[in-house]
Amino acid sequence: MTTTVAGPPGAARARSAPKEEERRPRRSWAPYLFISPFYLLYALFMLVPVGVSVWLSLTEWVGLGAPRWVGLRNYRLLATDISFHRALGNTAVFVLVAVCLVVPLALLIAQALNTRGLRVRDLWRTAYFVPIVVSPILVALVFGLVFDRQFGLANAVLRALFGSGGVDWLGDPDLARVSIALVMLWRWTGYLTVFFLAGLQNVPRELYEAAALDGAGRLRTFTTVTLPALKPVTAFVVVTSFICAAQIFEEPYLLTGGGPAESTLSVTMFIYRAAFQRQQFGYAAAAAVVLFVLVFGISRLVNRLLGIGRAAS
Amino acid sequence: MSYPPAAPAPPTRRALLRGALGLGTAAALSACGGGSTTLRTSGDVTLGLWTHDPGYETFFEKGIPDADRTGDFRYHLKVTRAGAPDIVTKLLAQAVAGRGTPDLVGFEIGSFPRMLRGDIAERLLHDFTPDIEAVPGLKEDLLPARTAPFSRDGRVYAFDSDTPMVVYFHRRDLFEKYGLPESMATWEEFAEAGARVHRDHGASMCVVSTVGSDPGQVVQSFQMLLYQRGGAFFDADGALVLDSPEAEEVLRFLCEGLRSGFVVEVSDYYGAGMQTALKAGRVIGLPMAIWYKNYGLVTNVPEQKGRWRVRALPRFAGGGGVTAALGGTGFGVVEDKANTRAATEFLFRTWLTHEGQVRRFTETGYLPTRRSVYEDARLGAYEDDFCGGQRLFGLYRSLLPDVPPFHQSPDQSILYDVLGGNLLRAYHGDLSPRQALKQTAADFRDQAGR
Repeated sequence: MTTTVAGPPGAARARSAPKEEERRPRRSWAPYLFISPFYLLYALFMLVPVGVSVWLSLTEWVGLGAPRWVGLRNYRLLATDISFHRALGNTAVFVLVAVCLVVPLALLIAQALNTRGLRVRDLWRTAYFVPIVVSPILVALVFGLVFDRQFGLANAVLRALFGSGGVDWLGDPDLARVSIALVMLWRWTGYLTVFFLAGLQNVPRELYEAAALDGAGRLRTFTTVTLPALKPVTAFVVVTSFICAAQIFEEPYLLTGGGPAESTLSVTMFIYRAAFQRQQFGYAAAAAVVLFVLVFGISRLVNRLLGIGRAAS
Repeated sequence: MSYPPAAPAPPTRRALLRGALGLGTAAALSACGGGSTTLRTSGDVTLGLWTHDPGYETFFEKGIPDADRTGDFRYHLKVTRAGAPDIVTKLLAQAVAGRGTPDLVGFEIGSFPRMLRGDIAERLLHDFTPDIEAVPGLKEDLLPARTAPFSRDGRVYAFDSDTPMVVYFHRRDLFEKYGLPESMATWEEFAEAGARVHRDHGASMCVVSTVGSDPGQVVQSFQMLLYQRGGAFFDADGALVLDSPEAEEVLRFLCEGLRSGFVVEVSDYYGAGMQTALKAGRVIGLPMAIWYKNYGLVTNVPEQKGRWRVRALPRFAGGGGVTAALGGTGFGVVEDKANTRAATEFLFRTWLTHEGQVRRFTETGYLPTRRSVYEDARLGAYEDDFCGGQRLFGLYRSLLPDVPPFHQSPDQSILYDVLGGNLLRAYHGDLSPRQALKQTAADFRDQAGR
């Protein structure tokens, strides 16, 4: 007779455990080490500055010494600051110019550059692209001369055509905004054209041939073939234009200094002015946080509306 | 039998790398240190000087032998040049970093209010008040009007480079040609004659800047006459006092002058528009600080040498003085550094001596900030070639008692932003002078003190 002594429960499992462990892949830190530089840099140069900005926005700091905690005071003051409201309004105008004027114009130019049989195509492309690589300082200098009230090119042309040209392009609040919009148009359109051009070159020719066989005219082909095919590119261009325009700084800073009477003051200029001309770093940080929230929120909304990142059904 | 000692094994590659890393870290950490702050009291010293103007650099370089001869230090300068606003930004950044600050800093007057925010000036700059009192007679001799812009709570943080009196520049030849008498004593007489000159000859006798991108320049046009009339932007405590009957009178005077043509708008005092107006004889006179001769007239219309003259501003019939002050650059010393004492002594032995102030005028054209220097015979005998050999120091001496103090506020840039816009609206007739000033005060209150 054989007596079998039952072992404690789980003993059999314990005996087979080493085998299971051998089968299970060993935990390794190597992959985490390989990807860690990105996260470290991301934390150092993205999360920390954003966190510090948010903290700074809750303080009063002149740039030296210890910041003083003021809670939400800076945000309350921003809510009643006419100057900040003006900057938000001006920035909204610049965003509208970028999205509603620059983007469509870039698309039209791209369409023209994509025409079959166009001669010196590369020359045209380069010509349209050059403004974005020209130094903003140079742009401001040139357009300062173009828009000069007494001796500017714009007024000289008006004088030659209509006999009068005393337009105060940079001195009149409304016209100063128009001048900035014109510079944006000149500077940004060619850059965005390149994206549209790349998109247009990827539209299958068969679609155009099919549309032609169906008897579609140029306009119909453009609206039913080109535009739908360009939707992902358009979405990208619209969102990046929006983000760039919402943070516009160089054009108004160099050309009008935000004037006259704050008519071209953008939010980023407001932030710069508060921090580096008025030593109100906490207040500037609060404005920066507001701008960040607005840009982030609206970008997400536009992303959702345009279906960016969603697989085509 | 003995064995020779084993040769040490050559260091492995890993050990070498570790060693190099350790040394590098040590070097980096030592470089991050703030440097010694033990006060130097004599010997060789290299002062870090930050300025926006090469003229000051030359002045201080040339002053080294005098400073060496009269003190315990042997000076060397290490000069860094940067834009006027950038100097303050960089100074604060270095101060936060705890290293790399200069010893001697030149603050352009428009940038200095940033140092007045919070306790920045108190923490960062050396207070010269005890040093001034230690020099017999210096306190009484320094013009209070020129220590005021760089002072706070009775402490002097910088010494001005100039007493930039506002005078009336005019084309003598065209004044004679248009029958404008020298005896005109008030602005009201000027305005009346100016309207006639504009009607008959298309010329103007006063200028306002309307460059929208530079509120400071827009404000300057108004500021000169406001301070002459007895008004001010801020009082000694930094409180806004702009909204006054004097300010309204001056603004109304300018607006009416623009309508009559006595005053003309220029986009920029130094730009192409002004140059053309001067060359074409469309501007035959203007109130401006004395430095404008070198920076505006000589550079833009050198061919008009000998035709320009300088006189005191005409008075306002309602009161006020015959001059104002516009501009300036204050030199300060950074506190709590090894070279603080050396830099202070350097400033006192170059910038503030009688000889130094005479030399400053002859080399840079900036007027002395010590009252007694105006009595110097060499300056009295000085003849200005551009102004037809006119001896100007007699005039400057007579204006000295009327130079008003210019008090600054940390919120000054706010005032310039809001005032600049409202001045333009008033010039263009969109607001009355009263409304423009009321609006400015309201906008300022809305934004100041945040």
